[in-house]
Amino acid sequence: MKEDCKKHFKRISEYLDGELDERACKEIEANLEKCPECLECLHSLKKSIQLCKETGEEEMPADMRDRLRSNLRDCFSHKLK
Amino acid sequence: MNQTATNAIDHDLIARFKAGSMEAMEEIVERYEKRIFTFGLKMCGHLQDAEDIVQETFLNAFRYLGRFREETKLKNWLFKIATRACIRKRRKKKCEPDYEISLESFVHENGSDIKYEIPDLSDDPSDNVLRAELKQMIDAAIQSLPHKYRLVFNLRDTEGFNTEETSEILGISVQSVKTRLHRARLFLREKISGHYMEG
Repeated sequence: MKEDCKKHFKRISEYLDGELDERACKEIEANLEKCPECLECLHSLKKSIQLCKETGEEEMPADMRDRLRSNLRDCFSHKLK
Repeated sequence: MNQTATNAIDHDLIARFKAGSMEAMEEIVERYEKRIFTFGLKMCGHLQDAEDIVQETFLNAFRYLGRFREETKLKNWLFKIATRACIRKRRKKKCEPDYEISLESFVHENGSDIKYEIPDLSDDPSDNVLRAELKQMIDAAIQSLPHKYRLVFNLRDTEGFNTEETSEILGISVQSVKTRLHRARLFLREKISGHYMEG
């Protein structure tokens, strides 16, 4: 990776998250236009973030939900109705 | 100050809970248990630990909800409690100390030919086995993140909290959230791509 690309590499996540100001975005975009390595880096990072988000949700087992409610009722039934 | 950070539904549930409604307590559980469970499982990697995190979070939340002043969103407050439960759980288990992920380790010198193989998640129901395998691989990759990076990654990218909210939940600076998130993402990209390139 070229020295010039390293400073942009540090801020790619912020760029993807829309957390950089306009000037910083333009600097990164200018670099992306001339550097295929940085462009590949951006695309692959974006894709892996998306993949992690899409596989993120978990289902809570029914018996676990029941135990939670039962414990909470036991603990708080004296002050709730 | 009358302004609250909680939304109207949570505000109403909190008011009903404070007035002694068991039903309100159960509605709060219903609204947030799945997300707290997901977070617990992504943090600890085991069902039993995730159950402990959920139980501890709600028990503590309802113990102190009477004093909750709604200066933050209910969801954020619950995740702050859940985060502390995860940190306590880790201390009890006497896990290996955290290590730093170096940004330099992702910088490839002369790397113009570096390619990353990141698979697509198919919407085709017949690919359920592949989806399950992919999910298992990603979960394992997330588990292999050092704890402090895993906390940030799960809050930001799995739970969708923004940088400021994550900073507030974890009690760390905004810059630390950004740094840890970027390194965690790079780490996961390497793991996912490495898995597929090995075949």
